[in-house]
Amino acid sequence: MDGSISVHELVKTYKGDVKAVQGVSFEVGEGEFFAFLGPNGAGKSTTVQILTTLVKPTTGTIRIGGVDVGKEPERVRWNIGVALQETGIDPVLTGRELIEMQARLFGFSKKEAKTRADELLTLVDLNDAADRPCGKYSGGMRRRLDLALTLVHKPKILFLDEPTTGLDPSNRQAIWKEIKRLNREEGTTIFLTTQYLEEADQLADRISIINQGKIVASGSAEELKRTLGFDAIQLVFELDEEAERASQILTGLGENIERSKDEVTLYTENGTQLLSELVRKLDENNLSPKTLNVKPPSLDDVFINVTNEQKERA
Amino acid sequence: MSEQRKGSFLVDTLVFTKRSIITIIRNPLIFIPNLIISLFFLFVYEGGLSGISELPAFEGANYLAFILPVSIVSAAIGGAGGAGQALVKDLENGYFSRLLLTPSSRLAIVLGPIIAGMLQLLIQTVLILVVAYFLGLEVAAGFGGVIVVLLLTLGWGLAFAGYSVGVALRTKNAQSAQAGTFVFFPLIFLSTTFVPYELIEAGWLKVAATINPTTYLFEAMRSVFIDGWEAWPLVRGFLVIALLCAITISFSAISASKAVSAD
Repeated sequence: MDGSISVHELVKTYKGDVKAVQGVSFEVGEGEFFAFLGPNGAGKSTTVQILTTLVKPTTGTIRIGGVDVGKEPERVRWNIGVALQETGIDPVLTGRELIEMQARLFGFSKKEAKTRADELLTLVDLNDAADRPCGKYSGGMRRRLDLALTLVHKPKILFLDEPTTGLDPSNRQAIWKEIKRLNREEGTTIFLTTQYLEEADQLADRISIINQGKIVASGSAEELKRTLGFDAIQLVFELDEEAERASQILTGLGENIERSKDEVTLYTENGTQLLSELVRKLDENNLSPKTLNVKPPSLDDVFINVTNEQKERA
Repeated sequence: MSEQRKGSFLVDTLVFTKRSIITIIRNPLIFIPNLIISLFFLFVYEGGLSGISELPAFEGANYLAFILPVSIVSAAIGGAGGAGQALVKDLENGYFSRLLLTPSSRLAIVLGPIIAGMLQLLIQTVLILVVAYFLGLEVAAGFGGVIVVLLLTLGWGLAFAGYSVGVALRTKNAQSAQAGTFVFFPLIFLSTTFVPYELIEAGWLKVAATINPTTYLFEAMRSVFIDGWEAWPLVRGFLVIALLCAITISFSAISASKAVSAD
């Protein structure tokens, strides 16, 4: 059993012919930090649930650490740690009780379970709250406890489904720091889904973007940005209406245009060439932006582009 | 390192049972109202209705001994229903998935709350029997009769736990599971609850009491309280319970296997 993940032609169809996942394939190597991105409802969580033995696929083969998930789910469970989007904990038990119980279920003796609970409570900085019922924990504390539960048996592969959504910056940072340490120092394979693209950009070795149940782009953050081959021209206006007018005037100029509030972003193959025409058009319409930037694409830009392209085709 | 470790069904069952017991103890509101209602039945019916035991159909039986099974059985239903409620809570707050992600025995996950519910029920029944003793209960079949009553109660509790767990795992929702416990009313009251069969007035109620399995449970318990050792009511009582258990436990097992392997 190693730390690899291999998914081949995974399909999940729910009742009523709802296709949640439509033929997804990817490989994650041992010790790799893999980020799985996609808009809400793209099939991310379903994929995580299938990979972690909670849901059965309609068709497809999945090997976690070389073990077939469909054939030997129990062997897979010994080796994976899973933090689901909705943290489930029994509010009546204390943090310490929950960790000890989890350890017992993973075959630890009573004594080992106690030691492990002490280690983990320190690791996630919950020593002070360890003996309080965790129904009284704050959202951040609950998430840290959930991470501790995930790590009890020192899994080789970690599945983290949006582990930091809804957390304040300090809790978010604490969790990221720990995930990074597990990956870099202990060689734990990380399978992460997140909405914070910036974080995926910084941490992940490789990224796949899923949209409407299909993988639409894969590669390192740098590769993805390069394959996009686009520059982004970003214009900020004084007023929202000005931005609205500008986005109408400039439509058709680049490959793609996005507006949010007072900001317009135009994607084009060659930003500098297009610039003079863009400025002339704005001038003719008496529009002058507060700021104008030409920049290489960010992961956000990649994400918006690949998920939009699909929408247009659909 | 984790791969060398072995899962153990016994340890898992123990861990889940212990956890359910802790949950029950920390939430006294789970069992106290139920116990009070059962004792209330005992006091009110004994206080208000004991005069009717003068009627010849009672054959000289003490009304306390006659009504006691109603109190015991209603307490048992509440205790056993707790197992289903506990699972619904886990399903609703997502802890159930956390447990499914461990390599623990799937059976143990469901068995833990059931065993804890049975223990709760046993303690409740003993408490009710003690109260009845102080009210002047005499058991015709002696101490052995008390054991028989406890066994009947456990069997009944197990059957009802199977039902409540099955409903819980199927609906995955607290309201529906709660609604499911309303079978309590027909089971308890469409029977020889207050008077012997011969004294039931309405024809439809006679039919209902004949179909209702609770009737045979009441009769079996009453036989040891009032008449001593009589084979037929006991055989019938245990047979009915065995049949009920077989049905509800299979129902909960099927629901459980569906709940743990979502398609």
